[in-house]
Amino acid sequence: MSAHVSNESTHRTPKVKKSGAKAHLVTFIVSIVLTALAFIAVGYEVIPIGFTVPFIILLAIVQAAFQLFVWMHLDQKGHEFPRIGILMGVVVVAATVFTFVYWLW
Amino acid sequence: MSADHTVNSVLPDEPEKATLEGKNKVLGFWLFLGGETILFGTLFATFIALRNQTNGGPTGHELFELPLTAAATVILLVSSMTSVMSVLAMHQHNLKKMQVWLTITAILGIAFLALEIYEFSHYVAEGHKMSSSAFGSAFYTLVGFHGGHVLFGVLWLITLQLQAIKKGLTVVTAPKFYVFSLYWHFVDLVWVFIFTVVYLMSIVGGKVG
Repeated sequence: MSAHVSNESTHRTPKVKKSGAKAHLVTFIVSIVLTALAFIAVGYEVIPIGFTVPFIILLAIVQAAFQLFVWMHLDQKGHEFPRIGILMGVVVVAATVFTFVYWLW
Repeated sequence: MSADHTVNSVLPDEPEKATLEGKNKVLGFWLFLGGETILFGTLFATFIALRNQTNGGPTGHELFELPLTAAATVILLVSSMTSVMSVLAMHQHNLKKMQVWLTITAILGIAFLALEIYEFSHYVAEGHKMSSSAFGSAFYTLVGFHGGHVLFGVLWLITLQLQAIKKGLTVVTAPKFYVFSLYWHFVDLVWVFIFTVVYLMSIVGGKVG
């Protein structure tokens, strides 16, 4: 007796949300594009050098948000506590980075 | 708990959330990821504060090269994608397809590690060591800790795949693959900030100064 998937007598087709795969692929393409933009901005100096750092950090945050909400399913129902948990982590990290950057040196 | 999942052998939709145990595993793992966020955040803060304290050694601008960083980034990003595909295959109850995607994920993880080992040994040869400067200590702690997470992830993944060969896809094993996928995405997410803050910002910083 086993719950193995390939057990033919018990096999049935699961309901799979069709929109799922598309959103994941879109996130992959967005990630690739954002990453490429960051590398191009640094490698070819296409934007004013003073703006490069804020620009690439913004790109990283956008990419992180996409991956958290789509790939890691934070957008789905029942993820209220995970959302709070990650938000808490982000708040503490922001405070720590701010402190180290502006007060340590 | 583990005994009665075999009684009903029809696998439910989204098997990772079918049991309270599975749901709790996912929730607990998110709390762990919240803690990991803070852990990596403090390492990032340390790196940002100390990145110019090179103690006469090579700077990040002199050491880091765009093509190597780009290669590592693409490898990890694609592996994050393949782990998404493995969860989609799991939702289709397709164990074979899931194993194929997970195998690709593991291979890409190993490739990333190989690239990182090559990179570190290259830096050490140029005089950039853990003990050579505050910049060195901060760099190897942050990037090495991330590499350690990749190594752990690969070992974890291989043991999960071996277990899946033995036990198949059940409401007990499904949450493990889902949780692994969360972990792998998180490791990729941390890398997004590493290539931005450590590599790209150092390369830009050298141009300004």
